[in-house]
Amino acid sequence: MTDLDPTTRDALAELLLAMADDEFVLGFWDSEWTGIAPILEEDVAMSSVSQDEIGHARALYELLAEVTGGDADQIAFGRPAEGYRHAALMNHARSDWAFTIARRFLYEHADAVRLESLAASSYQPLADLAVKMRREETYHILHFDLWLKRLAEGGDESHARLAAGIDRLWPDAQTVFAPLAGEACLVAARILPDTLEAMRARWLERIRPRLEAAHLPVPTTPGSPGADGRTQRTDEFAWLHGEFTMVARSEEDATW
Amino acid sequence: MGSKDRVWEVFRQEAEGDPMIHGGSVNAPDEELATHYAREFYGRRQESERLWIVPRDAITELDDPDLLKPPFDRSFKRPGGFLIKHKLEAARERAGGDGGSSTEEGAE
Repeated sequence: MTDLDPTTRDALAELLLAMADDEFVLGFWDSEWTGIAPILEEDVAMSSVSQDEIGHARALYELLAEVTGGDADQIAFGRPAEGYRHAALMNHARSDWAFTIARRFLYEHADAVRLESLAASSYQPLADLAVKMRREETYHILHFDLWLKRLAEGGDESHARLAAGIDRLWPDAQTVFAPLAGEACLVAARILPDTLEAMRARWLERIRPRLEAAHLPVPTTPGSPGADGRTQRTDEFAWLHGEFTMVARSEEDATW
Repeated sequence: MGSKDRVWEVFRQEAEGDPMIHGGSVNAPDEELATHYAREFYGRRQESERLWIVPRDAITELDDPDLLKPPFDRSFKRPGGFLIKHKLEAARERAGGDGGSSTEEGAE
C-alpha cells in the first residue's frame, strides 16, 4: 500500500494494469512460436523475448499488487477475459511470421516511448522499474527492427505479407496510447510525465522513417484512438485466455 | 535452418581480462542475426562479459598430424620432459640419507 490519495492510486492502478496486460498477453501470443519458429536459433530468440515480456508483466503486476493491496498471481490469472485491459493490438492471434513481426515492430517502439517517459515518473518505484525494463527492451528493438528489414527486403511475398500485417494492425496499434480514465490525474501528479497522445506522436515519428525505409505504406488513418481501445475483447483473445488460465483454474485454491 | 545460413563460431569471455574461450556455434544468414543469436545462446544469463562472433569460413584450420603429432618422442622439449625422480632417489641412496621424499613428489 502507498500514501497516494485514493483517486491517484486508482489512476496509477489503471496505468499499471494496462501496461502489465500488454506485456502479459503479447508474451503469451508469441510464446506460441516455441518449437515452430522459422529457424532453430530464432525459436530460442523468440521464446526468450516472450519470456522477457512475461517477466516484465510479473514485475508490473507485483507493483500493482503493492499499490492496491492485491495479489499478483490473482490479478494475472484470476480475471475473466473481459477484465483484461491490454490494447486492442494484442487481441489478435499470432497468425503468420510476418504478422507477428509487424505487431512486434509496432508494439516494441510504442513500449519504448512509454518506458522512456516513465523513466522520469514522479512515482519512484515505477521510474525504477521503467529504467530496468528499458535495458532489456534495447535488444527487442534491435531484433524486430532487423526482422522488419529482412522481411521487407526478402522478396515480393514476404514484403506483401508484412505490408498486409502493418495495414491490418495499424488502427489497433494506436490503442496502446488509448486515453485512460485517470490520465489527467496521473499527468498532473507527474506520475505520467507525458500525455498518451504526446507519446503517440513521438511513436509515429519514430516508426515512420523505418517503415518508409522498408518501402512499407504508412497509413494515415485513423488518428487518435478512442477510450474503448483497451476494453474491446475478441474471440481470439477469449481462446488465449482459456489457455493461459487453464492450469490456474484447475485447482482454484492450490498452493503452487 | 535455411540453406543460405552460415555457421558462426562464438567465443566468450567470462570476466574482464580472461581469455576468450570457444563457446559453440550458431547458424545465421548474416552478421547481425548471428550477433543476436550469439547473445541468446551465450550471453543472456549474465554469463559473458564479451562475445566474439566469427564466420567459420574465416577460420584457417590446421589439423595435419604430420605437423601436429610428429612421430618421434620429443618429450624432452616439454617442461615435464625430464624425469628426475629416480635420479634423485638414487642420489639420496648414495648419500645415505632418507631425505623428505614428500617434497620432491611433483618434481618429475
